[in-house]
Amino acid sequence: MYRKQVRRRRAVLTLLIIGSFLLLTITYGHSSGGLQRGVSTIFSPLQVVADRALKPARDLIGWFDKTFDARGENSRLKSELVTVRRQAVAGQEALQENAQLRKLVALDRGPALAESAYEPVTGRVIARSPTVWNSTVTLDVGSGDGVKVDDPVISGDGLVGLIASTQGGSSQVTLITDHASAVSAKVVPGGVQGVIRPDVGDPEDLILDFIDSTKHVHGGQTVVTSGWRAEGLASLFPPGLPVGEVTSASIVEQEASQQVHLRPYADIANLDLVQVLTGGSRG
Amino acid sequence: MIVTPRIFARLAAIAILAVLLQLSFFSRVELFHTSADVLPAVVVSLGLLGGSMTGAVAGFSIGFLVDCLLVAPLGGFSLVLLGVGYLAGLFRERFEIHSALVPPLTCMGLTLFAELGFAALQVMLGVHAPVSVLIVRDMLLKTIYAFFLAWPIYFGLRRALRPALVEEPKVTRRRQPTVLGRT
Repeated sequence: MYRKQVRRRRAVLTLLIIGSFLLLTITYGHSSGGLQRGVSTIFSPLQVVADRALKPARDLIGWFDKTFDARGENSRLKSELVTVRRQAVAGQEALQENAQLRKLVALDRGPALAESAYEPVTGRVIARSPTVWNSTVTLDVGSGDGVKVDDPVISGDGLVGLIASTQGGSSQVTLITDHASAVSAKVVPGGVQGVIRPDVGDPEDLILDFIDSTKHVHGGQTVVTSGWRAEGLASLFPPGLPVGEVTSASIVEQEASQQVHLRPYADIANLDLVQVLTGGSRG
Repeated sequence: MIVTPRIFARLAAIAILAVLLQLSFFSRVELFHTSADVLPAVVVSLGLLGGSMTGAVAGFSIGFLVDCLLVAPLGGFSLVLLGVGYLAGLFRERFEIHSALVPPLTCMGLTLFAELGFAALQVMLGVHAPVSVLIVRDMLLKTIYAFFLAWPIYFGLRRALRPALVEEPKVTRRRQPTVLGRT
């Protein structure tokens, strides 16, 4: 009797392990489609309810955490203010020059984010991945709201990520801090181009890679999406979306490239309301 | 654990509630830049209460649900949590839990095991980005949080599943009546 029980246990365990490996093998690299979409569709109303019900408790704990951080942030912001003031003065001059140049070339809208081409859909984050390895969030807007796979997602501060999959009333976003994320971007002013990749485990740090070591990049510069287009291919992100601020730049030894570290503008760890840029032309 | 249809329904409800709470609450609340992961603690508690099979099946099911809801490659969370649940159940079958500190310490150890397991799985599947050393801090803080979260989780689950638990009767020593003048 006991031996039979042990055999049955071992069989179940073996079956579960084989099942896990099979699932991994079959679905790695591409989603399992119907099954995951079905489960997500069933659970998304429950997630919306849970998200709203738990918001006060989340806010309370968030308040404690932010109070700890506030002291350090205060001194950092003070030093940033001095730099930004200088940049603002330079910016005013650039604006005047820009207005004159616009008149010359008869441009009627900004070159950065061609907002009129995109229709922003506002969504709320209802769930988040429990591990830093898969940096994903779930939104309460989906294909029913016009959201499509590969639509860029922004917050009030800057780029957040890209839509990875959609269901009727929900969608999953791969954040720019996910290990699978890569965003083509450039440093402004200067226009030095590279690819933004995450530093897995540190949501406060992104790495702008593949930058020519001869180009000079310094702290405080802004990084925006470059939004390239070439031979029928185009970047998934429109040009000019702010991504982050350069914190440091270091030349990789024995390589002709340098790594630029930047701090994302968007508060990736505490996302709540975001906008999905639907429609529009990429690149 | 004697799994009747009613207990099965309770276990299913516990799994769904745990996953919803993790994705909608714990993953989105950060303390010292790290969010808590209650799922290993829930699976460990179920393993400690119900044995290796209950732990393994609960781990697999909870992991599968997380994989489905996050639209991640299926099987990753399932495999790690299955191992966690099985080990917790095996511990319960081999050793006696005679101290209230055992469940939190087991949760702590197996949460670290889960974090390392998940990291190993990701590395095997291929991480296409540099990995920060801060990931070690994240793992250690998650392990510490698990210690404190294990108390309410283990005792709450024990209360919810009490009718199904096969518990050995407690041996209570009766004090010998003392008579004045004698020892």
